[in-house]
Amino acid sequence: MPTNGHYSFPPELYYDRANHVWVRRDGEAATIGLDALGLESLGDMAYISLQAIGLPVRRGESLGSLEAAKMVGDLIAPIGGLIAARNEAVLSDPGLINRDPYGAGWIVQLTPSEWASDSAELVHGADLAPWVEAEIERYRAQGWID
Amino acid sequence: MTYWRLITDDGVTASFGLAADECLAARVGAGESEPTLRLYTYRSHCALVGRFQNLDNEVYREYCQAHGVALNRRPTGGGAIIMGADQLGVALTIPGTGLGQPQGGQPQGVAPTYAHARELMAQFSAGVVNGLRALGVAASFRRKNDIEVNGRKIVGLGIYRAPSGGLLFHASLLVGLDIPLMLRVLQTPFEKISDKEIATIAQRITTVRREIGREIELNEVRARVADGYAAAFGVSLVPGNFTAVERRAISNLQSQKYDTAEWVNQTTAVPDTTGAAKLKTPAGLLDVRVTLAGSTLKAVFIGGDFFAAEGAVVDLEASLRWHSAEPNAVAATLACARAARADDLAALPLDSLTQVVQQAIRRAQVAESAARSDPYGCFVSPTGTQPEMTQSESAYA
Repeated sequence: MPTNGHYSFPPELYYDRANHVWVRRDGEAATIGLDALGLESLGDMAYISLQAIGLPVRRGESLGSLEAAKMVGDLIAPIGGLIAARNEAVLSDPGLINRDPYGAGWIVQLTPSEWASDSAELVHGADLAPWVEAEIERYRAQGWID
Repeated sequence: MTYWRLITDDGVTASFGLAADECLAARVGAGESEPTLRLYTYRSHCALVGRFQNLDNEVYREYCQAHGVALNRRPTGGGAIIMGADQLGVALTIPGTGLGQPQGGQPQGVAPTYAHARELMAQFSAGVVNGLRALGVAASFRRKNDIEVNGRKIVGLGIYRAPSGGLLFHASLLVGLDIPLMLRVLQTPFEKISDKEIATIAQRITTVRREIGREIELNEVRARVADGYAAAFGVSLVPGNFTAVERRAISNLQSQKYDTAEWVNQTTAVPDTTGAAKLKTPAGLLDVRVTLAGSTLKAVFIGGDFFAAEGAVVDLEASLRWHSAEPNAVAATLACARAARADDLAALPLDSLTQVVQQAIRRAQVAESAARSDPYGCFVSPTGTQPEMTQSESAYA
């Protein structure tokens, strides 16, 4: 697993470069959450709202909104598909995302509609380690992490 | 030279003001509108809650409806605020990339993602801080999301990132403030409006007029803030207005979102819960009230009759705002914050303070529903009364 300090990036996952969102393929579904650097940037999550189950979204569209400290932003879909499930546990306790970002802190599940083309835009496999290294270096250079 | 459009408009409605800011953020992010600094005022008065707040926890709805105080919900986060002719609204909308570096540095890209909120907030605040300092107000960005003068909040800040990548930096600058009106509009820890309650608020917030000791027109403050942004970002501000296309888009967003009860009255699955605890110590009484949003501390009020230097208690409170409620994390932060003001807080025992804060948090955590919770506002702290803890009772805490 590529790690640097406490920044963990499980290798089996796919990562959205722009938004630090991870995707895990679970059979016909794709599970989505925020990665370690995304959470480092946002800090403790305070609130999250998600679009309704059954809604179709395209890659780059909003899956919902989130608030951490006073930063409010949209959760951007890393892939397109139908919203199949929402993690009710994180809706009522968004801090779960910080505590277990790759496990119980998953946020939403989609049924992918364009997996082949959308996943090609994500970081995975051999590209992961150099991307993580470069991102951590970039965050350090910006002074966002120690 | 980089050019930003400067829009100044006054007396806008709550729904227009907010729709315009969100609309510009989306359009600027998409490259459809130019980067814009908007310095404006709302029609007196309106109360604006944060993106995820429960309006009925934050404002006195009946009073607002009876007195024509408009209610709405910001796209940015944070607490409830009151806005009107004496509060300058600042809305900077820029693309998520290519932001100029403050202090005359070379333009550099900002991460096309959730760049670190604290650094963005400090960066965007530079224009407001410059403007206030030009007026002789010793303002500085000190907190996660506040600009303060000697420990008193004078500007509230928030950032919203649009799906297009556009960034909206929101600030509300208190040129003046009618504190009794604020206490009638926003729910606060205080059940009555007396000199004591007003003084408690005045210990935590301030205004431009109070700091400079004279009446000043909002336009003069606006001009200094505009100059402050030009200097901070090395840009030239070109006075302008909304285009016809932008006005249509704003009007659509008003009717589809900001004028709808669905948006204004929406609630969240995360309940606000409050807790309070008191503790008698050799140094005096400690009276602590907290508001939690799930596992996050949203607000902390530390009162009592112990001795502490002015501003030191406010520093303690601010250190825990938007902080994890986890007990060890709270203890560690309180220890750091107290150490930073050790001389000013010498009479306040750290162990007792930690105990009573943790006890208040535990009481908030056992609150069962948002309906039982008490509210808090942006400039004030949570309400709620709880029985006093004795030293022995606190031992279980």
